[in-house]
Amino acid sequence: MNPYMTAARETQPPSFWRYTMLGVGFALIGLLIVAQMFRLQVSPQAEDFIAQGKAYSRALHIYYPARGQIYDRWGSLLAGNTLVYEVGAQVASVENIETVAFALSKVLAEGHPEYSHAGYYDELYAVLVSALQKGTSYIPLADFVTPDELAQLQEWALRYNTMQTTSRSSTENQPSLAGLVYRPRLQRTYPEHDLASTIIGFVNREGVGLFGVEQKYNDLLAGEPVAAWVPLDPYEVANIPTMEPGGDLVLTIDRQTQAAVEEILEQALNETGASSGVIIVSDPNTGEILAMTSWPRLDLNEYWNYGEVFSDNTPFNRAVSDTYEPGSVYKVLTMAAGLDSGVVDAETVFTDGGSIEIGGILIHNWDYGAWGPQNMQGCMQHSLNVCLTWVAKQLGANLFYDYMQNFGIGHLTGVDMAMEANGRLKLPGDTDWYEADLGTNSFGQGVAVTPLQMVMAISAIANERGEMMAPHVVRSIINDGYQYNPAPQVVGTPIRAETARMLTEMLAASLENESSDALVMGYQVAGKTGTAEIPGPGGYQANLTNASFVGWGPVGDPKFLVYVWLEEPTVSPWGSVVASPVFREVVEQLVVLMDIPPDDIRRQLGNE
Amino acid sequence: MGQRTTARTRVDWQAVLAEQVAPFQAPWRAAMRQQMQLMGGVLLVIVAAAIVAGIYLNVTTRAAAIGREIQEMRVRMSGYRYLESSPDPATAPIEEMEQRIADLESQLAFLTSYDVMQQRADQLGFEEADPEDIIYLEAPGYIDHQEAVLAPPPTTVVVSADGLSPEFRQSLVDWFKEQAVEASNWRFLFSAEGQP
Repeated sequence: MNPYMTAARETQPPSFWRYTMLGVGFALIGLLIVAQMFRLQVSPQAEDFIAQGKAYSRALHIYYPARGQIYDRWGSLLAGNTLVYEVGAQVASVENIETVAFALSKVLAEGHPEYSHAGYYDELYAVLVSALQKGTSYIPLADFVTPDELAQLQEWALRYNTMQTTSRSSTENQPSLAGLVYRPRLQRTYPEHDLASTIIGFVNREGVGLFGVEQKYNDLLAGEPVAAWVPLDPYEVANIPTMEPGGDLVLTIDRQTQAAVEEILEQALNETGASSGVIIVSDPNTGEILAMTSWPRLDLNEYWNYGEVFSDNTPFNRAVSDTYEPGSVYKVLTMAAGLDSGVVDAETVFTDGGSIEIGGILIHNWDYGAWGPQNMQGCMQHSLNVCLTWVAKQLGANLFYDYMQNFGIGHLTGVDMAMEANGRLKLPGDTDWYEADLGTNSFGQGVAVTPLQMVMAISAIANERGEMMAPHVVRSIINDGYQYNPAPQVVGTPIRAETARMLTEMLAASLENESSDALVMGYQVAGKTGTAEIPGPGGYQANLTNASFVGWGPVGDPKFLVYVWLEEPTVSPWGSVVASPVFREVVEQLVVLMDIPPDDIRRQLGNE
Repeated sequence: MGQRTTARTRVDWQAVLAEQVAPFQAPWRAAMRQQMQLMGGVLLVIVAAAIVAGIYLNVTTRAAAIGREIQEMRVRMSGYRYLESSPDPATAPIEEMEQRIADLESQLAFLTSYDVMQQRADQLGFEEADPEDIIYLEAPGYIDHQEAVLAPPPTTVVVSADGLSPEFRQSLVDWFKEQAVEASNWRFLFSAEGQP
């Protein structure tokens, strides 16, 4: 380059007008943007824009905690949770309605009675078409879809995708499951099916516990759902709300004992022809229910069969919800009242003439016989209605009913299961109470009790302390990370400990003297049979009875109390014939399952 | 001629020098220098701003990415998934893991349910013993099966001042004193006097 020319050019100032124009242009654009922003802020539509912005800035999410689990006393899971899926459609993304309807109706037909009907495909098709026309964004199509069913749907979806990608033709009318979405959630499941079903209850489709502990502890088990507005702006991450899971329950039930008792009851129903039955096994020292069953039972995983299984208002759990006239097992309470009040003692002799008059009616013995002079043990051993009526007369109505009320008859036991019935004990002063009721009540007629009420009342005698223990099926509650073990509750002390021991010995001797079918080899047990007529619309029904047995042991170191009720047995109406053997079978299992040493070994160990 | 030539050459040389230096000494040149300095300053500010913006972008991008992951976890907890999607199990939220654990617990319970265990025992040839055949034996050291303990018992939390960390109790002045004492102790330990 010629240095002279360069020097000459550089003596002139360079021109920056292009840059200036560019700067001005950018500045103008910037100003325009700012002006537009300002205009939008003050425009009449500003409120709408803000509202729209807010509407899309967050979404409402509801978090449902897992329902608490239920265990038996050793930790075996009785009620847990399993994964299921809700399947729905993001309607705008659905490519082929026919395929979606076909796939769902085909896959879900087998495992879901509610989806197995012939018109399900048409229903799905109509629902999807309607949603498409209305512009609905999401529509649920099926619920409680199992993981296997979902896997099948996913496999189909992927296969259709592959077909679309390999096919050169248009995607229109190609099979596709596009638009189908799913959401996992937990559903209640019962690994033991119908085992302890009458105690546990079940959870319905809406997630609400029905019957048993599922209903009684529904709030605790279900936990608190948490609703939270979640910002969609990733910079505005809010804390995930703390969601406490539902509390867990540990029951007092022993799974093995429960299974054994259920098997024995089913066998007893088959052998005796009884229409129904109840067996309760409890620990009289604490009130813990170790096993409780009644017939019928429901497979809790198929709770929708409830209506079929429990037709004609059949109670879900007869042990707590059904009342009946217990018959002679009730004499245990009458005799306890007589002994405790001192109006009779073990050696008091009553001369049985075969009948006794009370309130204008004549009471007879079960065999219409006259048993002559009998001490109180004889009265119980031969189950003499006349003698027990005499004891009640000796007590007088006020004292007798005071004792009965102290035993909790006619009141709820407060057991931690839903749907408990309170029974009925007519009292002097009630419009339908007559003096004759004192007589009939003394041997368990004209009074309505639940089997559980009898168990609670007799626990005061069985534990040989005179303390009536509150029956319960929940041993522990696990909540907030801690395990709470409620202490056994003494409901009352209706009798003295001496009375309890005296009556226990009396009833143990009674069983031994009559060589009862209830006797268990190696173990001394006390107990009483019961046979009650069943009231009907026109009075007591002929040949229909409730056969019962209540027994406990081992005498001197009580560990169990067993109550048996067989409704309307056909092979024999007598409790001593049909219910006593059931008691023995239960105890034979119990002593093994509970590691109870035979009496001689126990005494030997005690001496050591 | 030669003299003229020599003189002319000398004068030209000076003129050329003057011409070359002139632009640097021109008034607009001084203004331009100022402008260049200004531009340099502006550029410096821009570069500094760019660095700050870069750092800011980096941080906010990472925050946004984490925010998106959290959002996805929330959607996985309560939202919907497409059939074709396969969620990454490695980034499953705790709630999803808990759902899976609950499901596995139930599956295990089904596999060890009373009926199943009874069937397995039957298949293995076990038979139920008759009550007459059962003998009670005292086995020294035998530990009976324990009742379920699924969580610790509730404990009373007693908050005492002594139990609190010193950071929550001492003032800043106390802390400085403590540090000074500790520092002197360390110096003593490492000094010749402190050598054992």
